[in-house]
Amino acid sequence: MHKVLSDRMAIFIFVFPGLAFFILTFVAPIILSGYYSLTNTIAPGTSVDMVGLSNFKELLLHDERFWLSLRNALLLGLGFVLIQHPICIFFAIMLDRIGGKAEKWFRTIFFIPCVISVVVISRMWLSLLDPTFGLLNKVLGFLGLESLQHVWLGDSSTALGSLLSILIWSGFGWGLLFYYAGVKGIPEELYEAARLDGATGIKLHWRITVPLLSPVITVQVTLAMITALKQMETVFLTTNGGPGDSTQFLAVYLYNQAFSASNYGYANAISIMFIIVCLLVTFLLNRIMKNKNLDY
Amino acid sequence: MKKKTAFSLMALTVALTTVLSACGSNDGASKPGNTPSNTNTSGETKQVTLRFFSNLPDRKSGQGLAEQTVIDNYVKENPNVKIDVEALAEEPFKNKLKAYMASNEPIDITMVHNGAELDTLVAAGYVTELNPKDYEGEKYNFLPGVFTGFTFNDKIYGLPRNSDYSVIYYNKALFQDNGIKVPTTVDELMAAAKAFQEKKIEPISMNGKDLWNIGAMFQNLHQRLSGEQTSLKEAAKGQRKFADDPYVIEAAALLQQMVKDGIYNKAYMTMDYGASQNLFTQGKAAMWYMGSWEAGMASNESLPQSFRDNLGVIRFPVVNDGKGGINDLIAWNGGGYSLVEASKNKEEAKKFFDFMMSADQWAKVAWDTGAAVPAQKYELTGKETEVQKELANILLEATSTTGILLIDASTASFKDAAQTALGKLAIGNITPEEFAAELDKAASKK
Repeated sequence: MHKVLSDRMAIFIFVFPGLAFFILTFVAPIILSGYYSLTNTIAPGTSVDMVGLSNFKELLLHDERFWLSLRNALLLGLGFVLIQHPICIFFAIMLDRIGGKAEKWFRTIFFIPCVISVVVISRMWLSLLDPTFGLLNKVLGFLGLESLQHVWLGDSSTALGSLLSILIWSGFGWGLLFYYAGVKGIPEELYEAARLDGATGIKLHWRITVPLLSPVITVQVTLAMITALKQMETVFLTTNGGPGDSTQFLAVYLYNQAFSASNYGYANAISIMFIIVCLLVTFLLNRIMKNKNLDY
Repeated sequence: MKKKTAFSLMALTVALTTVLSACGSNDGASKPGNTPSNTNTSGETKQVTLRFFSNLPDRKSGQGLAEQTVIDNYVKENPNVKIDVEALAEEPFKNKLKAYMASNEPIDITMVHNGAELDTLVAAGYVTELNPKDYEGEKYNFLPGVFTGFTFNDKIYGLPRNSDYSVIYYNKALFQDNGIKVPTTVDELMAAAKAFQEKKIEPISMNGKDLWNIGAMFQNLHQRLSGEQTSLKEAAKGQRKFADDPYVIEAAALLQQMVKDGIYNKAYMTMDYGASQNLFTQGKAAMWYMGSWEAGMASNESLPQSFRDNLGVIRFPVVNDGKGGINDLIAWNGGGYSLVEASKNKEEAKKFFDFMMSADQWAKVAWDTGAAVPAQKYELTGKETEVQKELANILLEATSTTGILLIDASTASFKDAAQTALGKLAIGNITPEEFAAELDKAASKK
């Protein structure tokens, strides 16, 4: 065995398929994308003219839509971290405390949105939020709160907020699942010890559960930011970036530039910036939340 | 040792390439329709399968039925030809066609959209240039000026299938029952919209998510104010400035005001084509601003009888003191067909293409089934629905036509920017002046 592993040829043969796959599906497209980002080609298969860095110059200095979509993506990420995740942690703890049959039931119920197709979720929310026939406005009307009725997804002042709520709702199950697993991993003795020391209720969880979840939180925050940056389907299927760019997100903008506006070279420049932003965010988050290894 | 590794690496690369390329060619050959295959039993004619790509997924009514009928007619006359139809709804169709273009997929005939969309296909060399001389004369009977949106650098790359023009379909019963006058001026239209809102009925159903139709209405208002149909097209090509045209500002302001006053259904910004049509056909909206290609609604049996009986069509209203008349028509030829350069059966594909586009096929079938108003001369049958007759009159009495929509008059990049600007204008995020400036900025980018 040792002999096989010290043979370079053998190592190469074992590693090559994986490496080739990685190069063909990740590295090569990125390099190709980098090449196209320096051109002004309008679509794949058309003539290619090198234009140097002018796409990037335009993108970084003159393109408001790019910055707007980046801002929206980051806002969504913040929404995930500051709204969705605290709720997830709260529900994970609640689930753990309930125990018994109810725990299993609620666990399943909370996870349902995650197994529904994105298309169905988008259509469902479009109907729920429909200004005339939608459930939300109907309920508001029934309660005599007509002043709160809105054209939720069609008005630029409420569209982004509505979309964030949809996305936070639909991703809730995944967050819950991870935190729930984390909570389940905390030994009961720690709670007993804390109780003996006089910690109860919120304080108990704030001092014991949340700190012990920090490895999960670190991973989850990073994942949430990346999910937010990559968000595409729900936006595409509900507002398509509208009304008037108010729900424009990076991935949707990139797609529309590449395939609707026939700015293929420019879209590749966006995708390169997209990769850089993702790497930067991941790096910064890892820096901020240095993983403290906890032993218990 | 080193030499050995290098040699093995080379050997492996060669082996892998062979395996991969073998996969590739196998894959190509196994697809139906890519290769003109063996002769049939009589040994005279070759069996051919043509791949036809369409944006009409409903093959049982309207234009989809007409298209399928023509295909069936051809197959009946030419039993050696099989035609595989792939049909997707509008937006997925556009996306997939771009994907086909990117991979140079050997389909044979495809539906195309004029102007900006076709521009990209032409630039990629995906569609075949046609000789206009082939399509002159009585066999085809094309109306004058219908090739505008299919012509690039004086060469044509597709043939139009319809005469498209913007009209307002309306629900007669909703107007009558509520005692509301069918509008002939924009002021009356706005008054009608207000009256409908009070009755909790949506005035005009609008597919705002798609944005192009808001562009058509903007162009309609501009025409009604300015009385001419060329300045917008010229401005899109950068030959003049949108901002210098007072009617652009005026039309934009009017459109903005109309939207603000609630002339559209409330959810218009999230509504795509199908959703806006449903709102209208279910009697929840009084009007639908749409093109003449929806003539088939009147004879579509999947729609409720009560709706079809009450379906009417009117010209877009005039603006008081505007220079444009009621018979000036926002008319263009949006949809059409092209031959694909990557086709492996070019000769057979062209035969079918010429058959389909001859006046006694698509034009006749489309008119006779009430599916659309063709871009070719057609005979009246006497069996036309009221809606069809009225639509025919509207075109017949037209005093001017547009040729191409503003958004389609330049590149795909202009179209995208112009549509974004239209969206922002409609929801009031930008002023009419800023709107004109954004259009100019889009037109100056080449």
